[in-house]
Amino acid sequence: MENDEKKYEDIIKSLNGLKEVKAPANFEADLQRRINSEKLSKGEKKKFWENIFVPSKIIPSLGLVATAVVIIFVMETNSEEMDNPFLIEPRVREDVFVITEYENTETKQEEISKQKSLKKDEPVHEKRRDESELKSSEDKMITGREKSGEVEGLLDEKDVVKDQDLSAGNYSATKLALTDSSAILPPTTAPETSSDMVTGQAITKEELNFRQVQLTEEEQKTVNELKIQVQSVEKTNKSQK
Amino acid sequence: MDIKLRELSDEELILEFQKNNTEDAFNILVQRYKNPLTNFVFRFLGDYEACNDVVQETMIKIYRYKDSYSSVAKFSTWVYTIAGNLARTEYRRLRRRNIFSINDYGEDHSTYDLPDENYRPDVITDSGIKDKIIQTALLKVKETYREAVVLRDIQGLSYEEISEILGVNEGTVKSRINRGRAQLQKLLKAIHKE
Repeated sequence: MENDEKKYEDIIKSLNGLKEVKAPANFEADLQRRINSEKLSKGEKKKFWENIFVPSKIIPSLGLVATAVVIIFVMETNSEEMDNPFLIEPRVREDVFVITEYENTETKQEEISKQKSLKKDEPVHEKRRDESELKSSEDKMITGREKSGEVEGLLDEKDVVKDQDLSAGNYSATKLALTDSSAILPPTTAPETSSDMVTGQAITKEELNFRQVQLTEEEQKTVNELKIQVQSVEKTNKSQK
Repeated sequence: MDIKLRELSDEELILEFQKNNTEDAFNILVQRYKNPLTNFVFRFLGDYEACNDVVQETMIKIYRYKDSYSSVAKFSTWVYTIAGNLARTEYRRLRRRNIFSINDYGEDHSTYDLPDENYRPDVITDSGIKDKIIQTALLKVKETYREAVVLRDIQGLSYEEISEILGVNEGTVKSRINRGRAQLQKLLKAIHKE
């Protein structure tokens, strides 16, 4: 270490001989001024919490919070979903209107044409057949008013008729009897209308079956005897001609 | 009171300032250290205005953070540590500013050779020429070596104190000082020959 100091003796002497640089005369005054300015700025600087809890700031902020709470409360109480009234589908008044639809209109038209042809053949029963057509056309749609008002009393009967009279055997028997005999009125009901043609909750007069007569076995026999007599009379008339 | 304070050592004065917030104790410390610190910082920076700002800032830090001083260390070591840190920061800032202000001057990005006013014959006096040459050479020495050389050969501090100030061991301090001296010798060869 001493060797190093001897080696750089000149340099060390030169550095030691440098004139000392002194601080400026106003150094202490400047320093005092800077310290005082820092003190002032430090004194003015308040803490975060002190700044918040100033009445001028806390009153509006509390008011804001209260308003927010009230808005949230009101929104919560009225949280039921409001539907757009223009997008709501109108409610169907089933007690007033009944929608009926025919599944097979072609068969119906055929039926009408058959009836018309029968009308030509049997002018005696023309009036009655027209009535039956009218009835069948009327039966296409029964309004709710009829259902609820005039027909309302028949609604109870409807269920009974469904269970009893529209059973396959009875229906076929009556059909045979009515179609073979021209003296007896043809049934005003088409078989389709009872179950096939009317859908939904529509009630037709055919379903009620209030005009169909249930024949007993004795009556059926007498009808058959009468048929045979009529046929024999017709045959004799034809042979005479 | 003032006379009694003046008799106190640096460590006693800072303790008085810490405990009783005695402004006079601080003022005495300022009076004692303003010139040594100015000399140290100026020799390191080579800019008197910047040096003055650094020393002022050092004193303000002592005032503000008086409680962070512990009586284990010497007061002078603590003060030089603060001044050295601030001086290093300022030196880097000045160097950046000089690089940008000189090299990026003008639209064509060309560099300009600034005339050195220090060596003008009408400015330089015989007594001051040697000081200026040494100061110029000192500023060309590497930053870490220069600081060690200034603290040792200009400020006259011990190796132990320097190692505490720089935060390195004494061997490193000695190495830095020798390397700094060697660089300086090369730079000042002409003067020494004369």
